[in-house]
Amino acid sequence: MLEKHGLKIAAVSYDARETLAAFAERFSIGYPLLSDKGSEVIRRFGLFNHNMAPELRSYGVPHPVEYLVSPAGVVVKKYFVPNYQHRVTGSAVALGEFGEVSFDAPVARLESGALRAEIGFPSGRAFAGQEVGFFARFTLQPDWHVYGSPLPDGFTATSIEFEGPSVLRQHLTLPEPELIEFPLLGETLPVYSGSFEVHGTLLLKFPLPEGELMLPAHLSFQMCSENVCEPPQTVPFELPLTLDPFVISDRDRKLLEESRSKN
Amino acid sequence: MTKYTFRDLAEKTAAMREFGQLRNAGLPVPVEVRERHVQATNDGYTTGPEPGERIPDFALPDQSGAVRSLQDLAGSGGLFLVFHRSADW
Repeated sequence: MLEKHGLKIAAVSYDARETLAAFAERFSIGYPLLSDKGSEVIRRFGLFNHNMAPELRSYGVPHPVEYLVSPAGVVVKKYFVPNYQHRVTGSAVALGEFGEVSFDAPVARLESGALRAEIGFPSGRAFAGQEVGFFARFTLQPDWHVYGSPLPDGFTATSIEFEGPSVLRQHLTLPEPELIEFPLLGETLPVYSGSFEVHGTLLLKFPLPEGELMLPAHLSFQMCSENVCEPPQTVPFELPLTLDPFVISDRDRKLLEESRSKN
Repeated sequence: MTKYTFRDLAEKTAAMREFGQLRNAGLPVPVEVRERHVQATNDGYTTGPEPGERIPDFALPDQSGAVRSLQDLAGSGGLFLVFHRSADW
């Protein structure tokens, strides 16, 4: 699928070559897994995670970033979800979002007036009980903005909400909004304009049947220019996930079910 | 979401260990413990070269031991380069 676009894939970690060889064999990975033992290249890229204490096994890991680079080595796009636990599907992540590459990671493309949004999962595959990441990329036409929070009454903040019984918990992280003073309103409000990206997480219920899970959701926002505010809008959309079989021991299954029922 | 601040590396380590111990024991992880862990691991995160910038040169051994660089890894459409945590844990 990637080959037809002439795009190759490679993954870098701080693991020893032997570890990578065993991993590649176990999971039948055909693409190069590069061993940056000592994290020298990770440092050179500016990705060294300084939050890990030297005594931890995680010392030396990078911040998890994926780049689409041109054959000449220029970054075309990059992708980052700030939580290592969303990496489970490894290198399948985010490909659907990169340039012209077509890939089956699910993305909903929404357009409403001056706003465009692409909302998707970095990978189309997940497990029941997993916390999966999602992202949304917004582009607003010049002179328009949407709102962050906190907001006074009468304004609607930008939000994305997934619905239905398959989602136990969700969380959306908005970037730091710009605080803009609106003399006509007599208010200073948190806004987003231009292009911005938000990230979120969904905790999937456990157990769920294997196969395709269609997740209904909606995007809410209120679009305003300096002079005019449109009414708040709610745009429904849905995103599919393919749930892989969950292989788990009876003991772990019991613990997981107990923990889910308490949450 | 509560925004946690960490005085030093020891506080971040404590947050990660609290999370890790619960998860490894298969015990329920309270939302605030998870949040603190996520924020500790991502505190002050960096994402490296920006679109339009050139990535640093590199030459690293792959799983077979062959040393690889961008020139031989990239296809005609380029390279999708993934930095990830570990294949071991």
